[in-house]
Amino acid sequence: MPVSRGLPFYLLMGILMCAVWQIAMWSLSASARRFLLPAPTEVGLELLNLVSDGTLVHHVWITLREMGLGLLLGTSVAALLGYALAHSQILSYLFEPVIVVSQAVPIVALAPLLTVWFGPGIASKVVVCALIVFFPILVNVNAGLKRIDTRLRDLFSLYEASRAQVLFHLEIPAAAPAVLSGLKIGGTLSAMGAVVGEFVASTEGLGYLIKQGQNLYDLPMMFAAIIVLMLLATAVYGLLSLLEHKALHWERQGR
Amino acid sequence: MKTHPGRSTYIAQLLLSIALLLFLGLASACQRPGGQDLQSISLPMGYVANVQFSPFYVAKERGYFAQEGFDVTFDYRWETDGIQLTASGEVPFTVASGDQIIQARSHGLPVIAIAGWYQRFPVAIISLEGTPLDSPQHLRGLRIGIPETFGASYIGLRALLEVGGLTEEDIELQTIGYTQLAALTNGTVDAVVVYANNEPVVLAHQGVPFNMLKVADYVDLVSAVIASSDAFTADEPESVKGFVRAFLRGLSDTLADPDAAFETSKNYVEGLEENAEVQRAVLTASIALWQTPTPGMMQAEPWARAQDVMLQAGLIERPTPVDELFTNAFIEVP
Repeated sequence: MPVSRGLPFYLLMGILMCAVWQIAMWSLSASARRFLLPAPTEVGLELLNLVSDGTLVHHVWITLREMGLGLLLGTSVAALLGYALAHSQILSYLFEPVIVVSQAVPIVALAPLLTVWFGPGIASKVVVCALIVFFPILVNVNAGLKRIDTRLRDLFSLYEASRAQVLFHLEIPAAAPAVLSGLKIGGTLSAMGAVVGEFVASTEGLGYLIKQGQNLYDLPMMFAAIIVLMLLATAVYGLLSLLEHKALHWERQGR
Repeated sequence: MKTHPGRSTYIAQLLLSIALLLFLGLASACQRPGGQDLQSISLPMGYVANVQFSPFYVAKERGYFAQEGFDVTFDYRWETDGIQLTASGEVPFTVASGDQIIQARSHGLPVIAIAGWYQRFPVAIISLEGTPLDSPQHLRGLRIGIPETFGASYIGLRALLEVGGLTEEDIELQTIGYTQLAALTNGTVDAVVVYANNEPVVLAHQGVPFNMLKVADYVDLVSAVIASSDAFTADEPESVKGFVRAFLRGLSDTLADPDAAFETSKNYVEGLEENAEVQRAVLTASIALWQTPTPGMMQAEPWARAQDVMLQAGLIERPTPVDELFTNAFIEVP
């Protein structure tokens, strides 16, 4: 279902969920369990406070910057490595098992070490983010390139196309659908990556706000930051979907 | 041919979603409030399994909790979770720092300290040999690494700065997470905020010379306590007395025979045997912070002082009356 057509439905769902949530909190107002969850009105008020004093904009910018740089770094390394693995059986044989096994290492355990190696500043957050987005993009780059019809490769070879011509006129267009798909996944994961880095050591960012909210028993602030993070990840996904739509217009025209 | 769901499907989905949310909300509201089980209880410890929890391990191993009617399971979740669970009546007791009680209370969570554990504030600042730390004034101009800008570490630092006539503007504060020793030895920072019974013991064991400035030498702040909720202390005072009694017996036994307590702790802390030398030293350093002629008793002044520091630091917006933060009513004076 196209997003534009379903938007009223999604908005209505959101409003109804908030209404049910608020009713549930009213019913718990006399119960000790009210401390486990903030009411949506409290979260909404906190959101307005954070926006009005400029705090939210600052922390959103910090996280967005880390996401952008992490996505750029992760995508660049994944693209280069994915290209190399797709073109070399030896490299593929040597490195693919290592890369797969490395994904089993929980990034939450690595994050403190990365803070030691790269310092408590933005660098460690960017690296954490890049590590999280790297694998899905690598897999898609590799798969996209390997899926190219060998007859097309033969055709380019027949016309004595240079490596650059093969790359720009065959490989990139042919692998683009898979690569952009991986980029959408990576873009969404980049939000999680930035927040994991901020959880370990930070004084700025949405992850920092979530952590502060939790430790200062300010649940409305914690939830406000979580909701903004969700919206940010959704916006990034939407932007990358738009990019995919624009970049692959030739694919739709060819059908 | 239909290519996408019609209006009736949307309505059905909407109604189903509303019904599900209502069910969840009402189910939550209808659940038995409190949820305490006095036979089998979970005790949030606020940290990972550690030799510092030996009084609890001794109390369980020697049956002190059982004699008071409790089957205790140690739950190594974060402090804040333990406080929230206690405030909401999910668990009857929790181990927490006094500053967490102050923080929670300022947000309306009805938790109260029922017994003191640490008698000296454990936070300290350490530096390597080349960076002197003879007094709080020596903190001026230093790059100081701190795990977080909240909690006991932050309050301890703020208190020391205040004693030294300094503010945060006079130092370069860096939030480094729990990587203090690495940050210090790598030279990322000049000094780090630590717990005096933890990182310094490790450094000493490694033969690394260091300087240490202990917060407790300059200012008396409230530290680790046992806490419960207002509701539970009002409804079940005898149970609260019993739990406190069991804990204090475990604490007393640990102070009397640390070697036996260490051996008992091996049943609860993975890796204790393999790191026996340094962990035994951690226990010795911890015991020095627990010593008091009146076990469990708390004083108003350290609470008031900690609350002042938190107010100045902006961690809380308004103070709580000190007599709402702790009570000695459940401690039996011999």
